[in-house]
Amino acid sequence: MTAPKQAFKFSDIIADPKIRERWEKVRRYFFLRESTYDMTSRCNIKCDGCYYYAGEKQFATANTSPEYWRGLMESEKERGITFVVLAGAEPALVPELCQVCFDVMPLGAIATNGLKPIPREIDYQIHISVWGNDQTSLAVRKAPDMLARQMNNYKDDPRAVFVYTFTPNNIEEAAEVVKQVADQDMKITFNMFSAPVGYTGPLCHDSASLLKTREAMDALLTSYPQHVLFSKYNIVSHTHPKGLHDLFSCPYPRRNPSTDIGLGRSFRQYRTDLQWDREAACCVPDTDCDDCRHYAAGSAVVTARMYRHATDPDTFSAWLDYVDTYLAVWVRGYEKGQNLCDHFITPPPSA
Amino acid sequence: MSTDIQQTIQRIAEIIIDELKLEDVTPETFDPDLDLVDEVGIDSMDLATVALVLRDEYGIRIDEDDYPRLTTVKIIAEYIIEKQSENE
Repeated sequence: MTAPKQAFKFSDIIADPKIRERWEKVRRYFFLRESTYDMTSRCNIKCDGCYYYAGEKQFATANTSPEYWRGLMESEKERGITFVVLAGAEPALVPELCQVCFDVMPLGAIATNGLKPIPREIDYQIHISVWGNDQTSLAVRKAPDMLARQMNNYKDDPRAVFVYTFTPNNIEEAAEVVKQVADQDMKITFNMFSAPVGYTGPLCHDSASLLKTREAMDALLTSYPQHVLFSKYNIVSHTHPKGLHDLFSCPYPRRNPSTDIGLGRSFRQYRTDLQWDREAACCVPDTDCDDCRHYAAGSAVVTARMYRHATDPDTFSAWLDYVDTYLAVWVRGYEKGQNLCDHFITPPPSA
Repeated sequence: MSTDIQQTIQRIAEIIIDELKLEDVTPETFDPDLDLVDEVGIDSMDLATVALVLRDEYGIRIDEDDYPRLTTVKIIAEYIIEKQSENE
């Protein structure tokens, strides 16, 4: 069998000064090794389609001891974890546990609904979930004036990144939300609703809503390049008719039996009782893998497939834009550069 | 070991040292049987970077699915030689 001839050598691709600069910038963060942690089984709101309240993890008995959490973080550090994601159900309700995590692990992010401010001393990136304008939020999340309250809580806070989750029903609303966030000089990125296992409700995307979302994302990225943390390749990867697993073969343990290297080796998703289950371990457990277009998943899934993107300068630039975006969204202090690739690139097949 | 594989091992060690900026080791002293993940501490992104440089150097494609078994410099050298023979 003859290996396919490579049109470009990797050394030729990174000979371009802009590509090389970006490559050197992002590769400094290849040391990041993540795991995720459900912090509490409590939440101050109840959203339709919530990932936390799907599956079994919601029934775990929460460990509320800061000392146990400190011990967990220390053991995580020992096994090589360098980045923690504190999620489910609402980490802002247990700031003392978040503080313990930060004291041991200096790099991380917290996923929150933003209704209760997280103390500034916890210097993680703060991801504030937005599911539409306030009218839609009231209908889906049963909480009034969400965006105004979220922005007020995190005004002038450099940790804050708003995460707008596109559903088929809130695509048009994204423009008004992004404008409000940009007017306050805050940052926003995009997520795609990805159905929890068994969910077949109205929030599921179809081919028409994927296309419409792609157009909306593209328009917003063009209009607000300083405030929207995204790239053309993010748009392609997250609105493709195929989900992330089909496109890139998900490396999280739930879909990857190998324990030799990478996420299959190191990633764990801890429940509130500080237990984890390899069969359920991914960044958003209980998501239907076939429908997964989640932003957190893509950050690992697309990034991990560097080799297959190193085929030509355009494709590699698109991948670099994706990784640059992922780092800007997740890592405190990381500044996103201008996107290198200004057009849509077809995701390459497996190398 | 044949001269071919010895040379390949040394060149791979050189690439790994350069790319990953390893200190306290030289291509000559790099143990080819050292486990790259457990004992050197490299991860999947490091390995993908090394794989790209090896692709340039040896004109072979390294399948992403093969990464997990490329655990030592010696195994990588044998893999490269096998791939090259397939291409001949």
